[in-house]
Amino acid sequence: GVHCGACRKMSVYELHYFNNRGRAEPARLLFAAAGLPYRDIRIQSEQWPEYKLKLPMHQVPVLEVDGTMICQSVAIARYVAKVTGHAGKTDLEQAKVDMLVDGIDDVMTKKGDYVWHEKDETRKMEKKNAFYETTLPQFLSRFEKLLLTNGGDGFLVGEGLAHADAWFLCLADDVLLDFPDIFTPYPKLAALVERIRTYPGIKEWLAKRPQTEF
Amino acid sequence: MPSYKLTYFNVRGRAELIRLLFATGGIPYEDVRIGRDKWPELKPKTPMGQIPILEVDGQVYCQSMAIARFVAREAGLLGESSSDQARADMLLDGGAEVGELLKEVVLEKDASKRAEKKKEFSEKSLPHFLTLYEGFANDSGHFVGESLTWADISFFNMMDFLTAEFPSALDGYDKLSKVIENVKSNPGIAKWLKERPVTDH
Repeated sequence: GVHCGACRKMSVYELHYFNNRGRAEPARLLFAAAGLPYRDIRIQSEQWPEYKLKLPMHQVPVLEVDGTMICQSVAIARYVAKVTGHAGKTDLEQAKVDMLVDGIDDVMTKKGDYVWHEKDETRKMEKKNAFYETTLPQFLSRFEKLLLTNGGDGFLVGEGLAHADAWFLCLADDVLLDFPDIFTPYPKLAALVERIRTYPGIKEWLAKRPQTEF
Repeated sequence: MPSYKLTYFNVRGRAELIRLLFATGGIPYEDVRIGRDKWPELKPKTPMGQIPILEVDGQVYCQSMAIARFVAREAGLLGESSSDQARADMLLDGGAEVGELLKEVVLEKDASKRAEKKKEFSEKSLPHFLTLYEGFANDSGHFVGESLTWADISFFNMMDFLTAEFPSALDGYDKLSKVIENVKSNPGIAKWLKERPVTDH
């Protein structure tokens, strides 16, 4: 936990989400990287209609910190990164981390569009193909260049792991399920994925986390 | 003092929150507005093939929310503690979700589908959002603490777009109306609202 120096109290963290990786996993990775204990609550679908009414925007994930509820997955991940020292060191580094997270979020939203929102099977297939033939390659190609602006052989921004790296691992985990060779044209990104996977704390979490489809 | 150069199209769109934040903070910046014909040339030079971009002493940043957060931080409008900042972040992200739903209405080309989407938005998504946010605002008309933060300014910007389609959206929402009043009466913002180019979105 995080010590409040004056009152010697550990903050209590509870993360509410469903039983999958989804939009809670970046926060879980950041807790793991810091060895920061938290309650990893996984809501059953039968509980959901009543559960959501207690939440600020009737959505999950929600991070409860000593009783205060924070929603919105990107806001949550940024907060966990801040309290664990993985937010980027300077204002400009933080801006760069934020921009990379937002770029990843855009791509994840586009993927979510065909997975969750498109009901017509033909349209779904068309959109999936467009995602993997155009959207994702364009993104990965630009993203590899952005990694190279930070040297290429470390993390995405500055010296250490930041929440942008956590988000990137989550995207990678998803797309690799569809196409295990997707990173072949992007060796630096492939190496980054391995670097994040073997980060102390994250490595142990990956080995023990619930295995879910998404 | 660093030099700031913001590049976007000549619309409010995804740059207006950034411009409002520069205005509130009294921070000088170059407000570059390019014609659509100039865009193909610029696009490959941007980090993710999109604008707005902000150049800070030669370094280029993209993603409108990331840029806005950076400017809010420079202008002291982020929120004091990490939890204040997280609260502001969550309110902004929730507002962005509604913004996307509004876009779906506005961009619908088929007239009867558009009317249908507009009706559903005004009967479900909009009241749901405004009711939640009326609950998030305090009696002094602020979303975070007792003073202006970028959460208030972002809400004002959202309502600017929303009231173009739904002029009386805030009727009956007293605290939200106070938020709007507080933002409009900030001197930097009042000046910008008078001087900014008038564009249809």
